[in-house]
Amino acid sequence: MDIDAVIVHIPRLRRYARVLVGDAARADDLVQDTLERACQKWALWRPPDAASADQVQAALRGWLLTLMHNLFANQWQQAARRRMVDWDETLGPAHDPTSDLGLRLDLQHALTLLAPQAREVLLLVAMEQYSYAETARMLDIPIGTVMSRLARAREQLRRLMEGGAPSRATLKAIK
Amino acid sequence: MSMNRPDETTLHAWVDGELAPGRAAEVAQWLSEHPGEAARAAALQAQCASLRALHAQVLDEPVPRRLRQALRRPPLQWHWPHALAAGVMLSLGLGLGYGLGSRAPGAWPQAAQAQLPVFVREAAAAHAVYVPEQRHPVEVAAQQQAHLVQWLSKRLGVQLKVPVLEAQGFHLVGGRLLPGEAGQARAQFMYQDPAGERVTLYVSVLSREDGAAAAPPVAFHWTGDESAQGFYWIDGRQGYAVSAALPRERLYALAEAIYRQLD
Repeated sequence: MDIDAVIVHIPRLRRYARVLVGDAARADDLVQDTLERACQKWALWRPPDAASADQVQAALRGWLLTLMHNLFANQWQQAARRRMVDWDETLGPAHDPTSDLGLRLDLQHALTLLAPQAREVLLLVAMEQYSYAETARMLDIPIGTVMSRLARAREQLRRLMEGGAPSRATLKAIK
Repeated sequence: MSMNRPDETTLHAWVDGELAPGRAAEVAQWLSEHPGEAARAAALQAQCASLRALHAQVLDEPVPRRLRQALRRPPLQWHWPHALAAGVMLSLGLGLGYGLGSRAPGAWPQAAQAQLPVFVREAAAAHAVYVPEQRHPVEVAAQQQAHLVQWLSKRLGVQLKVPVLEAQGFHLVGGRLLPGEAGQARAQFMYQDPAGERVTLYVSVLSREDGAAAAPPVAFHWTGDESAQGFYWIDGRQGYAVSAALPRERLYALAEAIYRQLD
């Protein structure tokens, strides 16, 4: 398989990166880093055994997204001090450090306020429509973590979009 | 229905299609009996839909050149013809323009974009449009080369030849018929190397007003436009433009190879 097989996936990678980092130029930088990494690691890429052409393409896209995730994770870990939202796995879905913003935000802006870990899970499941198991494998986290991050990310996003105060009472009732 | 209220992760799993069919049906049944929770599930589905629509226009944008080039391995070692071409250029000296061997070396200044012949601007536009094309880069593929040449020759009104650039590492992908600015028939041939780099050769038949030269000398002119760089030349009534995202030296080698074969 030739590395040119990667080309057809670039538009999808660009869109994913664009939503993930929120800025067009920085998104393309991330895609470029990903493609360069793919070149370096191309010899390691193996299509799945006995797979159809579509399955090979899906696996290749997953591999590229995994490379992008690793680069992205390095970026935000290095910039951890500048993170806008603290992230603590032990806190429940009702905890929202952004709840006092009191602003109605557009979707992209609201996404950039989510913790990067939460954003990745949300985008892989809701936008790219990967299964929980595939998402867990790409991000190298347990499937239970995918589910808890997903629930919290959706709730935070909803509240950021509505711009209202957190409605803990409602959440209590649901649980 | 005896089912208990589904917990939060079950509701999300239902929205994401992660539940087994039997379990999903139970949740759907329970939601149909609890409109408040059904509305919340619908809101989650709407959130998914808005995420899928976010920046979806990026999916239709052409891939920026720098990203296509990020996939290219480091440039190959130059082979003999390139090295020779580079030597020829060095011997002419910088800033002199790039004349052709025994024909008069045309010491033309680098043309500004505004002064470029119309066909060169057409060539740059056609290059920019079709080079990123993945599914339909050409109208007629190289497998039908005889038909391609016959068809384009008939439309342009001159007998065309398709240069062979295998020695330079490029194979023919195919060609297409294009409209010039004043509705004339133009031809574009596309070549590709094993790394996927593409070169286009744009062929036009010029009228006197278009800049057709009465006689030689023929000179290569460089167009250093950001979007498409290349060389163009006018040989009698025919104007040629070679474009690619390649270093000037390699483009020169291609232009020279094409010129030699068409002469």
